[in-house]
Amino acid sequence: MRLTLNGRPVDVDPPGETTLLDFLRDHRGLTGTKRGCDRAECGTCTVLLDGAPVYSCRTLVHRCAGRAVETIEGLGTVDAPHLLQEAFVAEDATQCGFCTPGQIMAAVAVLARDADPTDEQIIAGLSGNLCRCGTHPKIVRAVRRAAAAMRTASHG
Amino acid sequence: MADPTKTPPRFVTTTVEVEGRTEERVVEVPAFPIEPWGPEAQLTHVGARASRVDGLLKTMGRAPYVTDVRRPNQAYAALVRSRIARGRVTAIDTTAARALPGVLDIITHADVPARTRLFLPEITYFGQPLAAVCATTPAIAEAAAALIRIETERLPHIMTVSEAETSETLVRPGLSHNLMGGGPKVVERGDVTAALATAEVLITREVRTPCALHSALEPHAAVAEWEGDRVTVWESTQGIFRVRDNVAKAFGLSLAQVRVICEAMGGGFGAKNNAGAHTFVAVAFAKRLGHAVACVVDRPGEQIDTGNRPSTWQRVTIAATHDGQLTAIDLEATVPLGIAGWEESPGDIYHELYACPNVRTSVRIAYVNTGAMAAFRAPGHAEGSVGLEMGLNALAQALGIDPLTLRERNIATHDQRRGRPYTGNRLAECYAEGARRIGWTSRATRTASAPHRRRGFGVASQVWSTGGGPPAYATVRLNPDGTAEVLAGSQDLGTGTRTILAQVAAEALGHRLDAVRAVIGDTATGPYNGNSWGSMTVASLTPAVRMAAEEARRALLDAAAGILTVAVDRLATHEGRITVRDDERSLAFGEVTAKLGNVMIQGHGSRGPNPDAVGIVTTGAQFAEVEVDTETGVVRVLRIVAVHDAGRIVNPTLAESQLEGGIIQGLGYACFEERPLDVRMGRPLALGLHDYKIPTHADIPLIDGHFLEGADPQANTVGARGIAEPAIIPTAPAIAGAVADALGVEVPDLPLTPWRVLAALQHAPQRHSP
Ligand code: FES
Ligand code: FES
Repeated sequence: MRLTLNGRPVDVDPPGETTLLDFLRDHRGLTGTKRGCDRAECGTCTVLLDGAPVYSCRTLVHRCAGRAVETIEGLGTVDAPHLLQEAFVAEDATQCGFCTPGQIMAAVAVLARDADPTDEQIIAGLSGNLCRCGTHPKIVRAVRRAAAAMRTASHG
Repeated sequence: MADPTKTPPRFVTTTVEVEGRTEERVVEVPAFPIEPWGPEAQLTHVGARASRVDGLLKTMGRAPYVTDVRRPNQAYAALVRSRIARGRVTAIDTTAARALPGVLDIITHADVPARTRLFLPEITYFGQPLAAVCATTPAIAEAAAALIRIETERLPHIMTVSEAETSETLVRPGLSHNLMGGGPKVVERGDVTAALATAEVLITREVRTPCALHSALEPHAAVAEWEGDRVTVWESTQGIFRVRDNVAKAFGLSLAQVRVICEAMGGGFGAKNNAGAHTFVAVAFAKRLGHAVACVVDRPGEQIDTGNRPSTWQRVTIAATHDGQLTAIDLEATVPLGIAGWEESPGDIYHELYACPNVRTSVRIAYVNTGAMAAFRAPGHAEGSVGLEMGLNALAQALGIDPLTLRERNIATHDQRRGRPYTGNRLAECYAEGARRIGWTSRATRTASAPHRRRGFGVASQVWSTGGGPPAYATVRLNPDGTAEVLAGSQDLGTGTRTILAQVAAEALGHRLDAVRAVIGDTATGPYNGNSWGSMTVASLTPAVRMAAEEARRALLDAAAGILTVAVDRLATHEGRITVRDDERSLAFGEVTAKLGNVMIQGHGSRGPNPDAVGIVTTGAQFAEVEVDTETGVVRVLRIVAVHDAGRIVNPTLAESQLEGGIIQGLGYACFEERPLDVRMGRPLALGLHDYKIPTHADIPLIDGHFLEGADPQANTVGARGIAEPAIIPTAPAIAGAVADALGVEVPDLPLTPWRVLAALQHAPQRHSP
């Protein structure tokens, strides 16, 4: 089967029961996507499938045939971070950081739907992503900040 | 006058408080005295809102968590757990599991050193590990674990304090009594019986607090790899040196044979203070197989076997004068501890938080057949404060006094338990500032958003020993290019240890912050530091870092004085440059170090003793505003205002993040979190994060967290105290108080779930919204 992973086509032949999360972490070494529960409860494994956030621990990789998967590794680099990543640093929206990649991927989807989301829309969009460190207020602020920065960037 | 022929002793003993326990420790006296940074000190980096140094890496998904470690040929282990609470293993059949392609090895009781205490055939709780399997992938290991057949013989289990007290059976071998210490632990100051007999006003309340689970999103995890007779263990831990101790003891190794690494970890909250079964399993398999093995605890395993905050029952009686002076506090409490653990008493805070001459606490702590407890953020205090503060609210009502006024009248000005002063207690200022921020005096004007909803306000306070202490060590070294490194065998739990160590070192060196890097999380590279627990890291380690940096700075200035041919006392450092008083000349650090070539400038720092005969505490107050839906019973927390006095705040941004985190965990404790037990079957019921609900984005109130400005130069040379645990203590009782205020009736048991609220409302006096 073939899928697009962070913009690049890849041909793979994983066993039928392989989850997208196992595929990313254990077959491709993409460990930015975290395994917090492996039972669709925490959101640390959130990636985008054709732009929509999914729990990769509950998505079979075979369901991704012909589709586009985006992970945190495809978002930005240390030298050229994504505006969301910059905003998360600026607002200190990461404590232990274990939930952070999942929160950011869910936020990408929020901002793709609406360039100027309300707090309620941000909260709804991130509602599947737990954080035990209690970073929620700063995460929401960071998404708001990134939204503003992205609007400026696209107008400027 | 000091005798110059006699050098002062290098090692002395000092008192250190860890998680409420007092320990005597040997301490190395610093080689030279350092003037503490007092409140007036002009500091550049300490106190600044510096960005978290590893923040960007975390947003990239590139912070190296233990679960992300990938070693050559790494294999994966899974645990097989008991499905009964008490009994014994009669047979284990591994045939089917072994036949699964990809399975490499299986171990049971006979295959591990006795000192690991792994896979004991006597079962004493549901979830006890009984065997482990290792395979080429995590998925195969899990599948194989499910194929291992374990036959057991069931014995009656004990799940409650009353059963433990009355039963002839001991919950596990090796105990002499099911009650810790064989009976209630009674601590009394003054004469409570006499004071109760003459009380002017008296109230009694009973409350229950739930068993809470730490639920860090990163599970417990270890990767082990042997090289000859040495083993390296990557562990998600709050204490790399403690894990090194644990592994060395369990496997009969010397400390020099064990190296423990924790570069990034995804939350601990008290549950990751020791090596666990997963650690020993990884080490054992790695040795047998000759390559690296990872063992990651799955989510149900996290829920049942990595520790918890035990539930409590508390009956509090408080006596006071008519004008609201407390005259007696009497607590009777029980704690079902689990199969093992330490004395985590809800009683301690009753002795400390409010001024009262007569206090008695009688606490029965029972071993029961459930997973062992583990320290959970402010263990004991978070539970005890619920009963104490609800008692105070009831007293305020009985007296017809504002609950805040009652607390203001009973501030503990000194450490009543030990009869000594505090280095500082600015709780009165915390009350005043918090009341101003929430609008306490005008709260009656705030109306609910709908007729069936009711608005309420609550307040609660906190005290927690946060002096930290020795031993704690750091090395600061300058590289030939003038950049600096701080080396310390500590760890960053998400609190920002790396960042604040760099800030303190930059300050003491007079360097640029971006030229200083902290290297932590490896027992092989950093000197000893204790666990990151008890809100101790900042107050323990930053003075050692400061001393190391001061020593390095002295050496740098000596070298610079030679180059510039001026007296050392004319030199100063600022932002990476050495300047000369009354002279135009200056040198960059790098110019001096380049001249030295690879002759290294290194400073060693150790944490000095704590001051004698004083208590060092963080205090604070939190205020809650809630709205309760009287039709559904849903509690909505709208706002939390928190004001704490923690001495000097090294980095306000990081401190606020931690404060908000503590408040949000406290909100979960108040409103949602509860591990139910099936007492009859002897099993915990919440095996995942759906049935154990922690706060989500939708549950978060407005949080206004604030620290009083200042410093505590008596406490240590940086003037800082801890904040991690103080943050959670008052949140739940402030929320519970606000809910009672809204409803006009108390909800005595946490968490404040809709059904408890509705049940309490049935007893409420009829009230009509305006
Ligand atoms: S790992 Fe997928 S939701 Fe938790
Ligand atoms: S930052 Fe630790 S779980 Fe969110």
